[in-house]
Amino acid sequence: MSPRSQIRHKTLLTIFLTCLVQLALGQAFSSKFEAVPPKKSNITFKNQLSENDKNNILRYEYFYNGGGVAVGDLDNDGLDDIFFTGNMTDNKLYRNLGGLKFEDITKSAGVAGKSTWTTGVSMADVNGDGLLDIYVCYSGKGAPEKRKNELWINLGKFKFAEQSEEFGIADPSNSTQGLFFDFDIDGDLDLFLLNHHIQVVNAIEFDSARAKRHPYAGDKLYENVDGKFQDISEKAGIKGYSLGFGLAVLAADINQDGWPDLLVTNDYIEPDYLYINNGDGTFSDRLTENFQHISHFSMGADIADINNDGLPDVFTLDMLPEDNQRQKLLYGPENYEQYALMIKQGFHHQNMRNMLQLNQGSGAFSEIGQMAGISNTDWSWSALFFDANNDGTKDLFITNGYYRDYTNRDFLKYKGDYYFKQAIAGEKADTLHLVTSMTSTPVHDYFFENQGDLEFSNRSTEAGFAAKDFSSGAAYADLDNDGDLDLVVSRLNEAAGIFENKSNAGSWLQVELRENSKNRFGVGSKLAAFSKGHTQVLELNPTRGFQSSSTFRLHLGFGEDQQLDSLQVIWPDQSVQTLSKPGLNQLLKIEKEDGLLSYRPVDKSEGLLTKLASSPDFVAGSASYNDFKRQPLMITMPSHLGPVMAKADLDGNGIDELFIGGSKGFPAKIFSYKDLTWAPYRGFRSASEFTDAVALFEDFNGDGKTDLFIGSGGYHDYTSEDESLRDRLFLNDGNGVLVPKPNFPNYRISTGAAVALDFNGDGFLDLFVGARLIPGRYPEIPSSKLLLNDGKGAFTLIEEALPLQGKLGMITSAVAQDLNGDQVKDLVIVGEYLSPKALINQDGRFEDQSERYFPTNTSGWWNSLVQADFDGDGDLDLFAGNFGLNTQLVANPKKSLRLYAADFDQNGSIDPILECFIDDAYYPYASRDELLDQMVGMRSKFTDYASYSKAKLTDLFTPAELSQAQLLEANHLESTYFENTEAGFVPHALPRMAQSFPVYAQLVTDVNGDGNLDVVLGGNQSQSRIRIGKIDAGLGLVLLGDGTGNFSPLSLKESGLAIKGDIKSIVDLKIGDDNILVFGVNQQRVEAYQIR
Amino acid sequence: MKKYLKHVIFLLLLTWSSPFLLAQKKQPDWSKIYAEQLFHITTVMVTDVASPPVAARIYAYTNLAPYRVLQESGVNFKHADILRQSKIQGQMSPLSLEKVASPEFAAIYAMFLVGEKVMPSGYLLREKQNDWKEWGLKTKIVNTKNLEAHMAFAKSIADQVLASAKTDGYLQLTAMNRYTPVEGPGYWYPTPPAYMSAIEPEWKTMRTFFLQNLNDFAPLPMAAFNMETGSSFQKQTMEVYELGKNLSTEERLIANFWDCNPFKVEFAGHMSIGVKKISPGGHWMGITGIAAQKARLDFTETTYLHALLGMTLHDAFVSCWKAKYDTHRIRPETVINQHIDQSWKPLLQTPPFPEYSSGHSVISSAASVILTAYLGDDFAFTDNSEVYFGLPEREFSSFFQASDEAAISRLYGGIHFRDAIENGVSQGKKIGTSIWENLAK
Repeated sequence: MSPRSQIRHKTLLTIFLTCLVQLALGQAFSSKFEAVPPKKSNITFKNQLSENDKNNILRYEYFYNGGGVAVGDLDNDGLDDIFFTGNMTDNKLYRNLGGLKFEDITKSAGVAGKSTWTTGVSMADVNGDGLLDIYVCYSGKGAPEKRKNELWINLGKFKFAEQSEEFGIADPSNSTQGLFFDFDIDGDLDLFLLNHHIQVVNAIEFDSARAKRHPYAGDKLYENVDGKFQDISEKAGIKGYSLGFGLAVLAADINQDGWPDLLVTNDYIEPDYLYINNGDGTFSDRLTENFQHISHFSMGADIADINNDGLPDVFTLDMLPEDNQRQKLLYGPENYEQYALMIKQGFHHQNMRNMLQLNQGSGAFSEIGQMAGISNTDWSWSALFFDANNDGTKDLFITNGYYRDYTNRDFLKYKGDYYFKQAIAGEKADTLHLVTSMTSTPVHDYFFENQGDLEFSNRSTEAGFAAKDFSSGAAYADLDNDGDLDLVVSRLNEAAGIFENKSNAGSWLQVELRENSKNRFGVGSKLAAFSKGHTQVLELNPTRGFQSSSTFRLHLGFGEDQQLDSLQVIWPDQSVQTLSKPGLNQLLKIEKEDGLLSYRPVDKSEGLLTKLASSPDFVAGSASYNDFKRQPLMITMPSHLGPVMAKADLDGNGIDELFIGGSKGFPAKIFSYKDLTWAPYRGFRSASEFTDAVALFEDFNGDGKTDLFIGSGGYHDYTSEDESLRDRLFLNDGNGVLVPKPNFPNYRISTGAAVALDFNGDGFLDLFVGARLIPGRYPEIPSSKLLLNDGKGAFTLIEEALPLQGKLGMITSAVAQDLNGDQVKDLVIVGEYLSPKALINQDGRFEDQSERYFPTNTSGWWNSLVQADFDGDGDLDLFAGNFGLNTQLVANPKKSLRLYAADFDQNGSIDPILECFIDDAYYPYASRDELLDQMVGMRSKFTDYASYSKAKLTDLFTPAELSQAQLLEANHLESTYFENTEAGFVPHALPRMAQSFPVYAQLVTDVNGDGNLDVVLGGNQSQSRIRIGKIDAGLGLVLLGDGTGNFSPLSLKESGLAIKGDIKSIVDLKIGDDNILVFGVNQQRVEAYQIR
Repeated sequence: MKKYLKHVIFLLLLTWSSPFLLAQKKQPDWSKIYAEQLFHITTVMVTDVASPPVAARIYAYTNLAPYRVLQESGVNFKHADILRQSKIQGQMSPLSLEKVASPEFAAIYAMFLVGEKVMPSGYLLREKQNDWKEWGLKTKIVNTKNLEAHMAFAKSIADQVLASAKTDGYLQLTAMNRYTPVEGPGYWYPTPPAYMSAIEPEWKTMRTFFLQNLNDFAPLPMAAFNMETGSSFQKQTMEVYELGKNLSTEERLIANFWDCNPFKVEFAGHMSIGVKKISPGGHWMGITGIAAQKARLDFTETTYLHALLGMTLHDAFVSCWKAKYDTHRIRPETVINQHIDQSWKPLLQTPPFPEYSSGHSVISSAASVILTAYLGDDFAFTDNSEVYFGLPEREFSSFFQASDEAAISRLYGGIHFRDAIENGVSQGKKIGTSIWENLAK
């Protein structure tokens, strides 16, 4: 077996097994939790806040953040005990008596703490004596000396002594949480102290704030030097700006090099930090290299391997609600200049929603939170990934809620009006009155079951979390030692929740680690379980969940399995201890053995494709056009469509030249590849006012030489009938020089697609030109064209030969093939808000017979179409690239996207109003600000956010207005393989990873040389509304075909691809024996890869 | 019975003597009433956060309605017809309505009807309309029999004014491109802390009432962007910067007195708070009301002056906004932060539109030309229009003293360069003078 096919077989096997496991497990195991009443558990702790004019949200920003929870076995009796922090109340320590009964022993333990604002808590064996100690953090507006953090050293038998000064960590910062981990792997625990600022930093002060450390807001790293902690923050590269509003810190070996890395989340504008451990006592923040966009108001976070590929994935929480009403109350105006400034100042791309960064290895991450279904959980605090039902995948629990509706847009307005009214009435404004007049909306916790295949299903209600509250810190532990993980949740103004796991669960294994060092509990160790080709990996980093820490016991579920093949412990020093075939459903206590061999990370296997060092020196476009300034209600910008590419051997030397299309201001160029370099081709020149949307190399005048047709597209600042929209034909003069052909028909459409085919059977190639849109008039349908060739390259427009006078839709791609077997080529076209269309050629006239060839409910936002015989049955199948599933927009036969368009306010501009399904019903997509900006009349209709937050389309327009408007619908967003069968095209959704980004480019080729056709996909959409953000999960995806119509994705490691940006075109070049794939990336240089 | 009789006698007496009594009775203080009712329009604008140019447009049409009511009622004004030389004259043809007993009542009512439709939250005026009707009935300016006729009269006029407003280009603004900042040094970019988008970049496309050709009213050329030491622009920048660091108490007071920022944004973490004030136009409408009361103008002349001032303010804003989006000039805050001092902040919050010319300078000067022409140059008054914002009363010896102070206040506030102020003043004076002189032609 060749290495290549080995890889392939391994992949397929893994996929097959994964599917099998999922099939087997999907139905069998379900999650269920039951609240244990305080009466039964004796846990009556309540994080009660007292709001008054001294203590309130306007005085202290983090007034409603809530308290923390830590669990751990403090007396080594085999039962995890619980510690709660109270913001304004005493902390509470509960001893676990077994059977979910607890005893409040705060008093005798002496750990009630002080009357300073109390935040996070962690348990860790700080002094390495085998007993877990407790570190409690403080913040608030009081004097620094009053908020020194406390370290309760465990003296055994629930006796504690506060020794923070002795250990050197009585730190007076405004702390959120302490994380104990062995960053330098010297066998003791060091401390990362997460802090936050307590004052607002104005935009103008950003630069100066980033120039220096803040004594109380800056995060700190303390190194444990023989039991005494020393602040090495600066030396170690830990940022300490006042811009840091740290809300979560997690340790994990993110890059799999054996050194623990850190994720720090920051509220507000400061980006999160991804500290990669350099292994030399320092860290480097590599966030922007790893994550293409991040949560804006990052709160809690978790790191876990959610797809069992052995790589830790990163999940950050934000505040985007699930339902329409709360979304509409929250969304304010979008400001492209402010966003641009944010990027320019180095704050990176940030959006307000939860982000799931799927780790693809080698620093490549794809953000797929929306596709995974876990992006909208309201104002969220704790995220905990754990296997709740022991089915072998990690599920997700999220706490959330904010006591006052602080970001309600109406409150901003109301407050101003209140001050104005009080001023006119000559009365003093009362701040507390304002605070207490803010509404309070409790929300339910979220519980998501991991469905495998990068999908989570929301089971909050079924799993027992329907109750609405304000929950914050949370931890998991098997409190009753029955083999599943229970939950402990801290709540505002309400008794803490103990949730007993009563899931219908599979088999399990729990592991406790001990090593003979000052890191007694083996924090940072990895556990890998192998069963039937299935791997699960866990890392022991108990500090997780907002301001909280979870059990030190590692817990894994195994579904129906009753035995493992093996279990590996990789200790922090990378030595590996292996247990063969351990039994399940037990608690294993593993002591580190002496003389273990060290684990060596497997050499990075090289992918099928290798990046070439050189690429043509040409960037075909810039960001200077913002189409939303012209039509603010569009979803994405149509201007940024290129570069398109095409290839042909123009000079007859046997090597193809590469055409790279231009855009306005950046005329197209052709390059020749010679001696590993790309040289500009001299025989071609394009004018700079055009935007090239499609390029076809064909012999149009029958002289045996290749000519070039370029379809002009774009949106830009073109008028609807702009001169720059005319398409162009260049004829080869025989010496390889492309000469513009005069008198080419002068129609003006923004072209989206073109196909050369002989539609009248005279032996000459004619043209179908698909129209994309009308600049400034989106989504009006333009007229596509048919052009007849006289054989000498002179074309004439054929009227009336297309259905609907050519107004077929907003066409993006087209192919020609003989659909009905009459030996004449027909057309298949796709477009935006369009079902694939089959246009049957009947003596040069085309008839729409789509219904015969395509199923209903396939109207999509199609971007690209290619054809080939993938299943070897002699006909041409289709690969159609669609918008994908990784956005807020949902479309299926029951929930379609509906675009109504008309000049509703009769001011001369088209008003495109998108209606979509949000949570429970259809609502307008536009935010209130967007709508009011589009139509003056709406300003008096919706004078506040509240009235708009419930508005449906029928509240915006009369039935008559709607029925007269143009209506476009889409109900299918998945990129799809259409199998050509006797009964027409049968759709099959492409693999899940191919749905994580809009597919704009597809190339059919045999990448792995197995004789079966594969498809290389590229896409993304960075030119979207700020609210949508960059859709950039695609990094180049290879789907391997098996020759029978099945396709399996290669991981990036296997393919070798990692292309950041919007791929708009892919071309393969054969140069000598080398097969080269060239990727056209929007506003970037093209990238070239060689097939191995 | 006795009691009853007494009442009858009293009533009889009253009926018989009423013409005489009315003549003796003090007339309602119409100039005060006018100002009070107009303030209801102002408060709705504050609720809606009407931007300065939008506010001026609203003042123009809401004050035009009372003027038209009086005109239609055959009242004689001291000065020439405002509309005769205006671009909307054709839309203001006589309606031949049947006269009503109290043109004053109908005039204010028409003001509310127009306000209700030209402001997003205009519905808030319905309560004021009811109050007005009750007041009219209570004071017997109208009675239950003729109330409907007054309302109908007002409605006819309001409809005519609103029909005219519909054609002034306002509805077309949302069909135009949103603003894209010009790239390059010296050009405007959104400013801290809210980085709000540019306000009304296409306002120059709005119809003016009087100005025939906006190019005739362009401000003098501004100093070119040049940060080399000694250049005019650099010196002006340093002036704003240094002055901002060394403001006297009086200068601070002046800057705040004329701030007139309809929406100042303050941030507290996730929460932004909009602090609201009346716009520059609102301030000058306030002064007009104060002056009308001081001069004891009757209803007719109060109305005339307010209508003329509202329309003048609108024209001045259109002219100024054309200049702003012809020049796209950078704000002092941006230049200073980029070139001199990263942490410098102006005393006032920089408003969200380009710098040149200074709006307050243009519109205050245009307004004071009109007020001076009408009431005289040595007209002293006490400006108490922003007392409820905690700002003190301020004495002025003339309208020009007030408008000059409003203009220079922008320098103290750190939001304008000197040339935008000085050239803005002359631009405004030219506008005001042209409008006043054309009236008499």
